[in-house]
Formats: sequence, structure tokens, C-alpha cells
Amino acid sequence: MSETLAVQMQTIEKTYPDGTVALKGVNFDLRRGEIHGLLGENGAGKSTLTKILSGLLKPTQGHMLINGQPRHFRNPADALRSGIGMVHQHFALVPTFTALENILLGQEGSRLFSSLNLNKARKHVETVMQEGGLSVPLDAITESLAVGVQQRVEIIKMLYRAVDILILDEPTAVLTPIEVHDFFKTLRVLRDASKSIIIITHKLKEILDVTDRVTVLRQGHNAGQIETKDATPGILARMMVGHDVLPSIEKTPAQPGAPILKISNLSVTDPSGFRSIENLSLEVHAGEILGIAGVEGNGQTELVEAITGLRERESGDIIVNGSNIAGLGPRQLYQRGLAHVPEDRRRIGMVLDFSLSENSILGIHREKRFKGFWGKILWGKVGEHTRELIKKFSIVASDVKVPARSLSGGNQQKLVCAREFDKNPSLVVAAQLTRGLDIQATQYIRDQLVRLRDQGKAVLLVSADLEEIFQLSDRIAVIYEGKFMGIAKPEELDRERIGLMMGGVNAPATPVGGAAR
Amino acid sequence: MQECVIDFFGFVGLLSVSFVDLLRLALIAMVPITLTSIGEVFTEKSGIVNIGLEGILLMSAFIALWAGEVSSSPWIGLLAGLGTGALIGLLHGIISITLKGDQVISGIGINLFALGFVAFGIMAVWHTAGYHQAPAAARIPALHTPLGEISPLIPATLLIAVLTWYLLNKTVLGLRVKAVGENPEATDVAGISVERTRFFATIYGASLAGLAGAYLSIDWLSTITKELSAGRGFIALANVVFSGLNPLLALLGGFLFGIFDTLALWLDTVHELKPCLPFGFHNFVKMLPYLATLIVVAVAIGHARFPKHSGQPYRRE
Amino acid sequence: MKTQIANKLKIVSTKLKPILAKSKSVIIAIFIKIKPLVEALFAALLGFAIGAVLMLLWKFDPIKAYSALFQGAIGNFDAIARAVGCLFQEGIEACKASGVIYGIYDIALTLTNATPLILTGLAFAIGIRAGLFNIGAEGQVYMGAMAAVAASLFSLPPGLHVFVSILFAMIAGALWSLPVGLLKATRGVHEVISTIMLNWVARFLVYFLVATALVDPVRAEKSIGVAPTARLLPFPTTDLTLALVISILFALIVYWILWHTTLGYEIRSVGLNPDASRYGGIKPTRTMVSSFVLGGFAAGLAGACQVLGRPPTYALYQDLSNVMSLGFDGIAVALIGRNHPIGIIGAAIFMGGLSAGSNNMQINAQVPLEMTRVVQGAIILALAVPEILKIFPALLGAVVKLFSLLRQFFQRIRMRRIKRTTS
Repeated sequence: MSETLAVQMQTIEKTYPDGTVALKGVNFDLRRGEIHGLLGENGAGKSTLTKILSGLLKPTQGHMLINGQPRHFRNPADALRSGIGMVHQHFALVPTFTALENILLGQEGSRLFSSLNLNKARKHVETVMQEGGLSVPLDAITESLAVGVQQRVEIIKMLYRAVDILILDEPTAVLTPIEVHDFFKTLRVLRDASKSIIIITHKLKEILDVTDRVTVLRQGHNAGQIETKDATPGILARMMVGHDVLPSIEKTPAQPGAPILKISNLSVTDPSGFRSIENLSLEVHAGEILGIAGVEGNGQTELVEAITGLRERESGDIIVNGSNIAGLGPRQLYQRGLAHVPEDRRRIGMVLDFSLSENSILGIHREKRFKGFWGKILWGKVGEHTRELIKKFSIVASDVKVPARSLSGGNQQKLVCAREFDKNPSLVVAAQLTRGLDIQATQYIRDQLVRLRDQGKAVLLVSADLEEIFQLSDRIAVIYEGKFMGIAKPEELDRERIGLMMGGVNAPATPVGGAAR
Repeated sequence: MQECVIDFFGFVGLLSVSFVDLLRLALIAMVPITLTSIGEVFTEKSGIVNIGLEGILLMSAFIALWAGEVSSSPWIGLLAGLGTGALIGLLHGIISITLKGDQVISGIGINLFALGFVAFGIMAVWHTAGYHQAPAAARIPALHTPLGEISPLIPATLLIAVLTWYLLNKTVLGLRVKAVGENPEATDVAGISVERTRFFATIYGASLAGLAGAYLSIDWLSTITKELSAGRGFIALANVVFSGLNPLLALLGGFLFGIFDTLALWLDTVHELKPCLPFGFHNFVKMLPYLATLIVVAVAIGHARFPKHSGQPYRRE
Repeated sequence: MKTQIANKLKIVSTKLKPILAKSKSVIIAIFIKIKPLVEALFAALLGFAIGAVLMLLWKFDPIKAYSALFQGAIGNFDAIARAVGCLFQEGIEACKASGVIYGIYDIALTLTNATPLILTGLAFAIGIRAGLFNIGAEGQVYMGAMAAVAASLFSLPPGLHVFVSILFAMIAGALWSLPVGLLKATRGVHEVISTIMLNWVARFLVYFLVATALVDPVRAEKSIGVAPTARLLPFPTTDLTLALVISILFALIVYWILWHTTLGYEIRSVGLNPDASRYGGIKPTRTMVSSFVLGGFAAGLAGACQVLGRPPTYALYQDLSNVMSLGFDGIAVALIGRNHPIGIIGAAIFMGGLSAGSNNMQINAQVPLEMTRVVQGAIILALAVPEILKIFPALLGAVVKLFSLLRQFFQRIRMRRIKRTTS
């Protein structure tokens, strides 16, 4: 093509201050007047790449050409001046403002102390809306608008600022199917008006539906680029997931017993009305590990919260050890044999300013073994308990009374795992079990999880790390948009199949629902 | 004890005779509370809470009187009062915005500091313990109106209320101030400086409180004592809540507070009424605005009308 | 020769490394524990420094002022020692007669002032530990004092009467703080607002009651006196009563509750991390309401101490002057005491001393006694800044940078001079 590309990113590298390498030598280009999909799993680097393009982050290496001119952006305002704007997953809108006020904020067209000349600006906004084929009720209060309409407000905001290169991060995550349809219509109109659009997504169907080209990232590298017309779900899935995943670690085959956790027709709705889990059913048996794979944001968090008493369910039953746990809070669930290793261990699983002792009884602090008369806590017993945990899990700590904050991140996580595993639970729910841990700790904790399973516990493992899922699970279920796409044994899944399922394409074979095998 | 000879109509009669007087007194009492409230409304819209208003009132009253006396000009005094408020607002801003310290504690510190500083200052400057009267040269001259002689600050307060309302709702600046209070992240992304906007709002609010303090010492009460503010800063906070962060409602609320204040005093001074009311009835009248505010907040407002991140420092993730 | 020394050094350093590492972690652990104390001391120093600056500006003598302050707060260590010795050896009557006992007058005054402050400080601190701003102690103190006085409307045997009066006061205080907790838990009403309103309502309510139902028929400017059976008797020649002991005991009880019971564990957990607390199955409503009720108990008790334990009046003044601003000062006490019961006892004594000594400062150094408020305010402002001790590394960094800039500057000049001489 003799035309200059709208965007050219070359050999982009990004290493975060804490050492994480997000991007390694990534190339990306965007033509003018195209809709370009950016596909990849969690941690692939899609967000990082687009944050660099939109000025939120600076690359550690590499350079960018915008419309043929070399550029580097110090901040989003800088990128905006080059016509690049990004619409994030969580809208940057002021809920109590009208749509018009949100569109104008920061670019009001008048000087600071002068009156908001809404009429002049309004005309301009209306022109922009017409040209873009979009419209929103300008005088409605933003928080009263449907999510799809709010998204349009964000897009109009960008167009009003003369954005030619529009980046959308998981735009259809919270839209209804009808809204998605309208949204794609909008995108096509914009593309035909020579705007260049990047949409970040993991949904294969949508890629095939609306994009012109697709770039696939995997673990910070380029994994492929293809014209959409040449792509099939299978090809995309394979690119997204990469090599065939590793076989399981050394473990004896599972000997599943009775179902400990039984979920039937569970539905969970957000306060905003969005259905995060749709009529989901599953069973986890004693002595087995059920792994739930899937790109983050497809309902895993809500599922875990519903099971562990942190979120209300709208309908459906959750039965643990034969009794319905509707309306029970975390403490009662712990009493009934639940152990929960939360996703964000440092923020939710522990109180950093508490000592190790105090953290070691979080959730079980009312148990008889730690209690004296008049509600007194027997710190002596707690100390013993803590020392045991430290020994068992080889946690590096000088004393049980030091604040948890003083431990290294890995050791903090080990403490949370230790506490939960030590409870002798019947059901273990673990989310992102080894995220952020070094190799040794990772191996150790995974071994411990398998040991629990061998002792006859039921384990529900949610992870965005496919390797972990494959290593540990006896059965794997893939979750997509709040539903299961399929449940199978690890040997029955190859990368294409799992990639398809994670991308929302129904792969044939196992019936959905997880019937006992 | 005398017998109560007043019935309802008698009461209305007494009230109407003193009506104009009561109105005038209420208007006068309204000024410091309303000015302070209006300023704080503006500040709180941006998400910053300043409970050091009491301290600002006291400090600026002191500085205004001192400056006015030294320069023999009430206008310099007024300006000095305003300036003191602005400076304290700057300090509160530095602690709350730049250093991301605790806003409530900063406000408490300001109050305590002012209490001590003013008491100390009165002794140090005029060598009198307790109070010092404003010399005639430093007092703000009155305006002659059909209602009698009133301070120019009364119409000024009305003007400032309208001006603040206009600023907040009809200008670009007001839009940004509200945005910063409701969703600082969105404002940051839109390229607006969260810190600078909040600084402006804080200094604006504190300056109005400074103006109110000057009114106390070189206008209405024409004196400085170590307790001049008499809790008006806290009354203003009550008024801010009552107004639901609307400057015009703050005007109304300030007037209501002023009326109750005046009414309580009046009830105590009218001899005919005394036997009709339980002894100390004026205490209940004085209680009313606070009870009313509490009920309004509990029933109607709750936490609905306040900016979402009120009182929390903004950290860019 | 050189290699021998190098080798020896190597051996020594390898031996030292683990010791250094261990002592480093021990030092860090100790530092974390005492950091709050160091911050408070630093803030206090800053406060006194600012006070000194202001005094100098107005041509007062800060050294004279501060020593008078100290004298008035504590007195003379010799005199105290003599008084204490005398008490143990010769008994109260003899010491009174000889006048030696007056050595403890100043420090007794300090402790008397500190008594209610310990309690109002606790009221605020318990709230902070739960993540709340309970500034309603002011009004709760009024209600407590009034209730304690009201208990003298009927008669009871001596010991029981004290006990019942205290109980009345604590319940009154808790009844005044309970609505705050409930409003917050059910309607999300911010406690700063509801406590300020209730403070005012309490003030006028008590004004009214003290002037009417509880008024002293003989001397209208105060309430009825506390019945002799309900009074706490003072230590002779001082105003110090058992109220101090009650206060300190309450502080210890609060310490025990917060750090040794499940309720306290839950309160602290919610205050530090509400999300993790939810995960731990802790219901924030329970901790919220509990902390307000506890605070109300503390403040009510403070009110009781001020009427049951303050000779010679043993009553509530109509203008509430003997209970005014105790709640507000309690906030300062809590902040300086870093929201810890033991620290609060210390901070209360500090502030009690400031107010005890301020009179002396005014008399002997002619510095208005309100200077102590200036110092207090400055201390609080310093404490409002998070991590104020970071000033030190920041200053150090700035100084180091300044030095390196200067060095660069001088180096450049030297270079130029060398160039000039060689060319």
C-alpha cells in the first residue's frame, strides 16, 4: 500500500517498574479506515500495547509512527492531540452530569470563567453526532442512560475531540446482544468515514463479525496477524493459545467421590442489572479438582463470590455438603467447611497491618479453640497455630507478631494459602492460585492443592493461567459470558478446542452442565 | 410569677410589631453563616472537606481588625480578612491535596491553632485580656436604606450567593469543579488538573469564610474576643448539609439559622411572653435548626447529594 | 601484604553479614513499633518550636514561658520527692501541717485535668480504630454529666450511689451516640454531620435541664449538687479523686477489648480493611454500632467524672463551663496519643499538663495562657500530614542533591581555570 499507515508501532517493549515484562518486541500497524481487532488471552499484552498508543504509558523500548510521523506521548492529552483516543472498559463519565456536559468536559470551548456557552457547543456536538451516525439524548443525566448509550457518549466524546484513531477496550463486555448489534453498525459507519478503529477483545465471533484485520498477541509477543476474511475460529484459537499446553504434573488419577458442591441454574445479576452469570450448573466431587478456565471478566469472579458468600445470587441453588447455602455469609460457610483463597490475596485475603498471628485467624477468629471467656482471644493458641502454618508452608518470617506488611509478597500469599488449606475444609475454592508467586512457591502451593485433593477434598480452581489449569485439573470447564462452553478432561482438549471455547465458540463433544462421569 | 395573659393572637401581634426589627436582625446574623456556608459548598463540590471554618472565622476576624486599625481603613481590614482566609485555605489545601493528609484532622488542627493564636494575639498586640474594640476608623460604614442602616455586606452576601451559584452551574470552571468532586479519574483523563481545581475551590471557600470573619470584627460586632466565632463555623457546616450543596439554599438556610437565633433572643427579652413559656424555652428554639438539619439529612439526603469521593485524597493509579 | 588484609576483611565481612542482616530486621521491627511514638514526639517538638517562634515575634521570652509552663504542670521534682517521702513516713496530717505536701499540687492538677481527657480521647480513638470519625464526645459528655447529676435526685447508700450515678452517665452517653451509629448503618448518614448536630442539640437540652429541672434552688448558676453519698472524695489538698483511677482503669479495659477480644479484633479489622473483613465474615454494622456505643460510654463517664469527681463544687454549671470543650480536646488527645489507650493516657497527661501549667506561664512569664492552644494546634496540624517523618529522608535527599550540585559547580570552575592557565 502506498498509503501511509495510521499507526505503526515497532519493536515495542514494556517492562514495569516491579519487573514484570508485559511486551517483548511487539509490532503493530493500523491502516486508515479499518477496524482492527486485537486478540489475546489475559496477560497477552493487549491493554499495555494500547495504553502505550494512547499515551497512558511509555514504552521502555521501541518507537511509534503516527501517520508517518515519529511520535512519543507524555500523557493522554498528548496522544489526543495526535488524534488518538481510548475508551476504557470502565467509562470515564461523571454520572450526575448530562450527556452533553460529559462530552464537553475539558474541551468546553470557552475560557475558564466565562459562561458555558452550551448553545454553540451543542450545535457542534450535534454536527459530530450526525457525521458519525450516532445519537444520544444530550440532556439526559448520564447515570440514567443504558450502558450501550453511555458507551456512545464516550465515543461521541472522542469524535468531538477530532479523534481519528479510536481504541476500544472490551467494548461489548457489558452490552446486550441488541446493543452489540447497534454498536457494530456504528463502528462500520465510522470506518467508512475513514476513522481507524482498534477493538480489544477475546470474543472470536465478534472478531469475525466486524473486523477487517486481526492481530493476535500471546504472552507479550506477536502471535500472528491475519486478514479477517482469511480467518476461521480455529486458526484464531490456535494463535491465541499457542503451543499445546503442558501435561499434568505427576499426580495419581483422581478418585472422585460424592458431589460436595452442587450448583444448579445459578444466575447472578449486577446492581446495574447486568447478568454476569447465566443459568450455570456444575458439580465438584470429593477428591477431584475442577478447573474453570476463561478470559477474565466472563463471570468467574462473580461465581467465586456467589459460592463464598460474598455476593447475592438472583436465582438458582448452591448446595454444599447437602445443604443449601442461600443467604449464608462467609463465616457460616467457613464453619461448614469452606476454604477460600481469594483472587487478590493481599487486598482481600489479609489485613496487611495486622500481625501474622492476627491474619492467621481471619475468618476463623470466633472458633472455640481460640476463644476464652468473655470473648477473649487466646493469643497463645493463635501463636501456636501461626507457627505451625509457618513451618508447614516454609514461610519466611522472623516472628509471628510482625505485621504482615513486612513479609515479601510471595510469603504473604503463602500465609493466606496456609491458613485456608490448614482449615481441613471439605470444599476449597481457589482463584488465581499462584498469580504473582515465584517458581518455587508456585510449585509448592500446587503440590499442596493436589495433596488436598488426594485427601478427599473437593477443589474448585479458577485460573486465567491455562498452564495451571491443565496441570492441576481433573476436569476443565470453560466459562464465557457467564455460561459454560464445555466441560472435558484435560486429555480431551487441545489448544484449538480450548481457544475456541474461551473465545465463545461452542466446541462439540462434552454436553454443558458437568454431569458426573 | 406573673400570669400568662397572651394568647395566640396576642403573640402574633407582638411578633408583627417587632417584625421589621426581627427581620433586620436576622439579616445581620445571616451574613457570617451564609458567607461561610456558600464558600464551603463550593469547596465540598470539588470533593474537599474543610471543617476548619471556625478557625478561619476567628483568625481572619483578628487579622482584619488589626490591619484595619493599623491602616485606619476598613477596606484594608476587609481585604486582610479575605487574605487570611485564602492563606489558611492554601495551608489546608497543601495538607489535604498535595500531601494527601487527613482533611478532618487538618481542619481540627486549624481550629485549635486559631483559638490559641487569637487569644495570644489579643494580649500580645493590645495588651488587654479578652477583648478589644474596633476603632471607628476601622469599621465598615453602613448603607442607608429604607430598612434602616444596614451593612453593605448584607447585599454583598446576596450577590455572592448568586455569583457562586452562577459560577458553579453556568461556567466552565463550575463544571470542572463538580466533575472533580464526582469523578476525579474521569476529570484527570480529560486532561484537567484535579489538584489545581481543588486548590482553587478550597481557597475560594476559605476566602469567603475570611470575609465573614472580617464582618464579625470590623462590622457587626465591632470587636475581637477570643471566642468571637461562637461556633458559627460549625453552624455553617450544618447549613452546608442543610443546603444540599446549593448556594442559593445556603442563603435561605443561613437566613433561617439567623431567624432562629434572633427569635431565641427575642423570646427571652419580651417580658409579656416570659410567663407563657417554660423557663429556658429559648433553648428549644435554638435547637431547632440543628434538629431540622439532622432530620433533613437522615430522611431526605442521606449521602445522596454529596460528591462521591468527598474527603478522600485523589491518587492516580 | 595487601591481599592478606583483603582476605581478612573478607572473612570478617562474611561473618558480619548475617548478624547485620538480623539486627537490621530487628531494628526495623522495633522502629515500626515505636514509629507512632516518634511521630508524636516530633510533632510535639514542632509544635513547641512554632510556639516559640510566635513568642519571639511578639518579644516574649519562650524559654521563660516554657519553664514556667513546666513548673505549673509538674512543679519541682525535689518538692514532689519530699512530699511523697513525707506522706509515706509521716502521714497526711503531718505533711499538711508542715506544708510539704503542697509539692504535689501542680502534678495533681495536671492529673486532675487529664482524667476526663483520657476518656474523651478514648471515645474518638475507638471510632478511628473502627474507621469512623466520632466527634460527638462533646455532646455525650454533657449528657453524661447531666445524667450523673440527675442520679442525685434520689438517695442511695454511699458506694452504690456512686456506682449508679456512673452507670446513668455511661448509659446517657451511649444513648446519645447510638443514633449516630444507627443512622450511619441504615441510612449512610455521615457521622461527622450527625455528631455535630447532636452536639448542639445536647448543649441546648442540657442548658435547659440544668436551668429548670436540675437547678440548684439556692444558687441558680449551677445545677443541684451531687449528693454527698455520690461524691468521689479528693486526696487532701488537691482536687484529685478516684476519678483518675476510674479513667485509667477504663483505658485498660478498652485496651483489653480492642486487642484481646473478638469484638476488638473485628473492630480493628474493619477499620484497617473493610474488604478483607467482609471476606473474613465480619459484619461492619456490628462493629460500627459497637464502637459508637463504647465511645458513648467513655464520653458519658468523662461527664460523670467532672461532676462526681470535682471538688469543691460537685455540680454542673449552668453555662456548662466545667464540661465544655472536653470532647473537642479529646480529639487532640487521641491524635497525639496515636489512637492507642496507653498513648492516650500519656497524651492526656501532656495536655492536662499544658493547661495546668498555662496559668503559671501567664502569671510568671506574662505569656497569655492560650499559647498552649497554639502549640496544640500546631502539633495536630503536624500530625495531619501522613508520614511526617518522611521529612527527614526528603530533607536529606535535598541536602545531598544540593551538595552534589555545588560540587559540580565548583568542578566546572576549576576546569575553566585549568583551561585558562594551560592555553
